[in-house]
Amino acid sequence: MSKRKVKNDHMPVGECITQVQKILRERLCHQQLPQKLVGVEAQHKHLLELLKRTAIHGESNSVLIVGPRGAGKTMLLKCVLRDLLEEKEVQKNLLQVYLNGLLQTDDRIALKEITRQLHLENVVGDRVFGSFAENLAFLLDALKKGDRSSSCPVLFILDEFDLFAHHKNQTLLYNLFDVSQSAQAPIAVVGLTCRLDVLELLEKRVKSRFSHRQIHLLSSLTFSQYLDQVQAQLSLAHDFPDTKFAEDWNAGIKTLCEDKSVEEVLQKHFNSSKDFRSKHMLLMLCLSRVSVANPAIKPADVLEASRLCLADAKANMLHGLSILELCLIIAMKHLNDIYEGEPFNLQMVHNEFKKFLQRKSNSMYNYDQPVVMKAFEHLQQLELIRPVDGSLAKTQREYQLMRLMLDHSQIMESLQKYPQCPTDVKQWAMSAFG
Amino acid sequence: TPRHATPSIPSRSLPARQPANVLEEARERLHVSSVPESLPCREQEFQDIYSFVESRIIDGTGGCMYISGVPGTGKTATVHEVMRCLQRAADEDEIPPFHFIEINGMKMTDPHQAYVQVLQKLTGQKATADHAAALLEKRFDNPAPRKETTVLLVDELDLLWTRKQNVMYNLFDWPTRRHARLVVLTIANTMDLPERIMINRVASRLGLTRMSFQPYSFKQLQQIIMSRLNKAKAFEEDALQLVSRKVAALSGDARRCLDICRRATEICEHSATGLVGMSHVMEALNEMFSSSYIMAIKCASVQEQLFLRAVIAEFRRLGLEEATFQQVFVQHQALCRVEGLKPISVSEGLAVCQRLGACRLLLLEPSHLGVMQRIRLNVSQDDVLYALKAD
Repeated sequence: MSKRKVKNDHMPVGECITQVQKILRERLCHQQLPQKLVGVEAQHKHLLELLKRTAIHGESNSVLIVGPRGAGKTMLLKCVLRDLLEEKEVQKNLLQVYLNGLLQTDDRIALKEITRQLHLENVVGDRVFGSFAENLAFLLDALKKGDRSSSCPVLFILDEFDLFAHHKNQTLLYNLFDVSQSAQAPIAVVGLTCRLDVLELLEKRVKSRFSHRQIHLLSSLTFSQYLDQVQAQLSLAHDFPDTKFAEDWNAGIKTLCEDKSVEEVLQKHFNSSKDFRSKHMLLMLCLSRVSVANPAIKPADVLEASRLCLADAKANMLHGLSILELCLIIAMKHLNDIYEGEPFNLQMVHNEFKKFLQRKSNSMYNYDQPVVMKAFEHLQQLELIRPVDGSLAKTQREYQLMRLMLDHSQIMESLQKYPQCPTDVKQWAMSAFG
Repeated sequence: TPRHATPSIPSRSLPARQPANVLEEARERLHVSSVPESLPCREQEFQDIYSFVESRIIDGTGGCMYISGVPGTGKTATVHEVMRCLQRAADEDEIPPFHFIEINGMKMTDPHQAYVQVLQKLTGQKATADHAAALLEKRFDNPAPRKETTVLLVDELDLLWTRKQNVMYNLFDWPTRRHARLVVLTIANTMDLPERIMINRVASRLGLTRMSFQPYSFKQLQQIIMSRLNKAKAFEEDALQLVSRKVAALSGDARRCLDICRRATEICEHSATGLVGMSHVMEALNEMFSSSYIMAIKCASVQEQLFLRAVIAEFRRLGLEEATFQQVFVQHQALCRVEGLKPISVSEGLAVCQRLGACRLLLLEPSHLGVMQRIRLNVSQDDVLYALKAD
């Protein structure tokens, strides 16, 4: 017994690391539900009470949860459902229907899905029988036959609610809200959306039937709370098998979060967005650098992860271009400066490039027109330049008007970092007006 | 395949809990679904519809009526009440017996389904739309002894519009047949619907018997809540007045009024005071009517707020209400420098812009346009400035 305990207490480092990776990845990637929600207690209570009244008293309700992306809307709902289903009275008395605006792209599919999830009598196995019109009539009849006190409450969860508002006539929304406002089977309609103007999408009669309850999830998080969250998210719980390792790990995380450079990086991320997802992304990148050789997260790891997160995509693409393509980009930049953002075509760019070549004695970059054309097309394929209008076939390719899709700061920045950039090209880029 | 499936929802294992205290009881009564026996404040309209339908039933003739009004003014509820009263009268042999059927444009997938539903509710037969139309035509055209009058309620009439308008035409043409004995009551929201969307021969068959339901005034709303509460003492007098005045000023929608009262009882329950007072009602009103844009801007991250300021600065500079991302980004970088923050890269700036676009504080062009996409504000500039200044 004691031997086993000792063995439990000190696992080899490799196994500990595997455990840590498993636990933390579960937390960061699978959006594991927290034990207790922080900062949204009021919203949690409101929603829980509301759903409880539907489940226990049979009161029909409708509510919208509105918040920016990554603000924890689904997590709030899931936490509420978890707490709700702990009650015995609710467990057997609640039917749940999950719909997602991205999957149920029209009412026909949504209706089939509802019928299937409710296991109504026109379902055999997983197939729903009958036409669209019959399904609708059948579902409405079923809901109409129910009444407040005796039939099972149904919870409809509409994820990406705003997409349902784009269905034809908003039939589904009208019917769900209408059921929730009339003496039929008790239902609760919970919509999740990130659009603040979602009510303006609804038709008047649909809007009138909606109860206008909105739960807003807007985080008023401060930076110190953000730091605490990061620390809590990376720390191990007490039930980790190897206590010694867990203690060391947690101490390591604590010193990490107090480090000045790490704090700076986190501050930068906090400034740019407060959502959970980008934070999880950053922490995930840190975590993936943990291995047996490197058994703790170091400040350098955080800096590297942040650099990966914040890298500019377009500037990175410029690093991979050939000198000729880069020269064309510079020529376009000059054209943009001279003609104040007017669109250009290949001929203009080539002329600008030739002007640069003329001023130079050696003609190292003296390419033929077809080669330049090929480079130009390559840039178009990378979407660094875009045709002004979509009509590709009408004009010849040389004369088609294009626009540069880059900011000048991006060009200058990537020129600094371009591997072995010729000095004269750099100078040409710096010089005003070619 | 299940041919004779009966539509039903499974029943619950435990019966629903009954309301335990005054507030819960009030909440149950205030729910929109608990329609009272007789609707207050709609006596005149009730009388008009009642006498219209009653006279048609007694004479054995047919007719059409068009009822309009904004949502939540009691149109459908009044018609249902009329039909309940007439049914009672028919049961007591005061008037000849009749059929009542109802269809709703929103509860159909296609306007032609109206035929199917009418036929099914009249005879229980199932048929395709074309076949049902033919059967109904025959039924209403031919004389039959001992035929009962049929009262047909068509809710959300505007959705029965088709390009040839044959569904509407038929619905209004059948009552004019000699042997049809059909009374059609139609409900829609807009007053000028017949003139706006119907061609002449349809509008003329609909006739001129029209009625419009006015939005409720604040006194009527107050009376409605009082009658619903029915002596249950849960609200302060002033609180009720505030709700009804607010709703009457905005829309006169009774549903809204009841929803707000119901929310107020919930808020009251949390604060654990006996009566629903002014403060609870104020809170409920704020929750339901206030716009969330300002709060959303206040809760946005530093860079997002900065970006909104950059948008406004660029609008001021251009004198337009639209700018490209590139132009705004220049302002954004300048603001970053002023605020002493590190300038952000273009990718990051685009991400910030997309986040603001996703919650519709900004209106954006499709994101594949990159730095060229044009940006507009979805809120007024004053709102943005107010939200950013307040803290």
